[in-house]
Amino acid sequence: MVILIAVLVLGGLAWLWQRNGGNGGSARILDVPLRSAGRPTGGRPVPAGRLAEGRIAVSGLTKQYRDVKAVDNLSFVVEPGRVTGFLGPNGAGKTTTLRMILGLVEPTAGTATIGGVRYADLDQPIRRVGGVLEASGAHQGRTGRNHLRVVCQAAGLPLARADEVLELVGLTAAGDRAFRGYSLGMRQRLGVAAALLGDPQVLVLDEPANGLDPEGIRWMRDLLRTLAAGGRTILVSSHLMPEMELLADDLIIIAAGRLAARGTTASILGSAAPGGRTLVRTPELEKLTAALGGDAVVMPAGAGEVYITGVDAAAIGDAAQRAGVALHQLTTERPDLEAVFLELTTGQEAIR
Amino acid sequence: MTTLDSPALDRAKDTGTTPLRLVRAEIMKIRTTSMWWLFLIGFTVFTALALTSNGFSHHYQLYPQPGVSDRAQALAQAAQARTPAGVASIAVSMMTSGQFLGVLFVMLLGVVVVTSEFAHQTATATFMTVPRRSQVILAKLAAAGCFGALFWLVATVINGVVTPLYLHSQHVSTSLAGWTVVRSVLLNLLAFVIWAVFGLGLGALIRSQVGSVVAGIAVYLGGFAVVEIIFHLIYQVYRQGWVLGAPVIAPAVASNVMITPGRAFPHGPPQWAGLVIMVGYAAALTAAGIVVTRRRDVT
Repeated sequence: MVILIAVLVLGGLAWLWQRNGGNGGSARILDVPLRSAGRPTGGRPVPAGRLAEGRIAVSGLTKQYRDVKAVDNLSFVVEPGRVTGFLGPNGAGKTTTLRMILGLVEPTAGTATIGGVRYADLDQPIRRVGGVLEASGAHQGRTGRNHLRVVCQAAGLPLARADEVLELVGLTAAGDRAFRGYSLGMRQRLGVAAALLGDPQVLVLDEPANGLDPEGIRWMRDLLRTLAAGGRTILVSSHLMPEMELLADDLIIIAAGRLAARGTTASILGSAAPGGRTLVRTPELEKLTAALGGDAVVMPAGAGEVYITGVDAAAIGDAAQRAGVALHQLTTERPDLEAVFLELTTGQEAIR
Repeated sequence: MTTLDSPALDRAKDTGTTPLRLVRAEIMKIRTTSMWWLFLIGFTVFTALALTSNGFSHHYQLYPQPGVSDRAQALAQAAQARTPAGVASIAVSMMTSGQFLGVLFVMLLGVVVVTSEFAHQTATATFMTVPRRSQVILAKLAAAGCFGALFWLVATVINGVVTPLYLHSQHVSTSLAGWTVVRSVLLNLLAFVIWAVFGLGLGALIRSQVGSVVAGIAVYLGGFAVVEIIFHLIYQVYRQGWVLGAPVIAPAVASNVMITPGRAFPHGPPQWAGLVIMVGYAAALTAAGIVVTRRRDVT
């Protein structure tokens, strides 16, 4: 009898599991497009006197797992009023670092503070800091609205705030649908909504562009830029280099848990290959080369095309005019972040 | 057009986490998923089955069928069952119907209250909102206890409606407000709440949902038989009475001792010993769960 009943209970539980869909794989997903969520407006700027409360300071941060040093003596500062990109190859320790900043992972050594205070010691943390850490961070069977309301209830925020952030991320129409039916993009937006519940001064986002379509990526960029313009601190990790080039004011690049580079986006792009190179197409290559003088280095690029480094486009144009050479193309190629990133981080993996 | 302005936050006066808000948030978490009502439906069905089964068994106790092998003994038992104490004992049995699987359900509910946070990765949001993790576990404890009490209430209402009708149909009567019955119903409530807390502690300790559900079922159903066999074998060697009482160290046995006035079984320990052991298990598991939850990284 006991065994029979136990089998019944277990059978019931198994059915329950199926229904709650641990992975939500079989659920019908209807994407709610971003249509309704345009460029965000409004938002109270952070008063000048409180800007320093948004500064993230990481000092000597280290996380040692059993046989791997995921983060190794990492130090950096994230300034308010700017978007800071946090870059690194997969497994570089980005997520671990962000989780240590948010008090979810205990550092082996070092500190991470927000406005000089550890996250765990903040009074009303979600009114100060919003975190977007993983796109699957809600119960499969709970509606998006209820997911947000639970957070409101625990933090003592009015439940109506859940509706406001749903509207802000364009999920009002999907608010009463179970999370298992959300597309990846919708999950990311729900994560952003949750992070904004407390109208925080600091936002920490881990790969928020994952799963977003181009429209969603632009929406996210607009949102983060608007928030930064109001004096908020935005720390956003990504592996999408072109996106970071457009979005980030500052960059922190890590590889194998260590700092590889940090500075403004412009300075990091400039530092790697000063001056860049110029693509030139001309029918009279020899004549042009002779006119350029000793500083220029000419490398063949294809039929009738060369890359010239060592002198800038203006100097090439002037030389061409002096020599009476026709130029069919003269293009300055700035180094892109991807190339810089690879240059800074390749080979580091071997350390681990 | 979307706005970052928040009239709702502007209107809010005192935001921030308080113990009461945290408990309400945990109750809301349970309420907003389907698990609790699926469990409650299953539990209600089992309670109805248990009531029916108890009803038949007491009927045959009161009215022995012709053709039972030992007619004389059956009639003696029937006479015993008709005494005031016998009828009260039948009333107790009917009024606590569904307990056996009910406490299993609330224990599993307690387990899932914690493990689902990790299975569904909601622990990140939970602990970002409230970094004081021991507070979260204590709030979950209160919420699980509330749902344990809710399950008890449902069973008690069903039993409270059916039992008087049943007793009337069997032509016996006793007061359901008598202390014997009320005491058992209250001890039943205690069992539901303690097992919910037990499950919660287990879930906090064993974070894997499958792992702690299996462990919980094994402790509840299997632990019973295993300790009985072990101590019975020991008794074959050491013929001491306390050896037969020792199975009380198993939670399922302790729970049975706790809810049974007098001695639950021959050489069984007193009722309070069962209560102490059950509370001890629930408290120890919860304390260990809090320590583990505070130390473990949320990844």
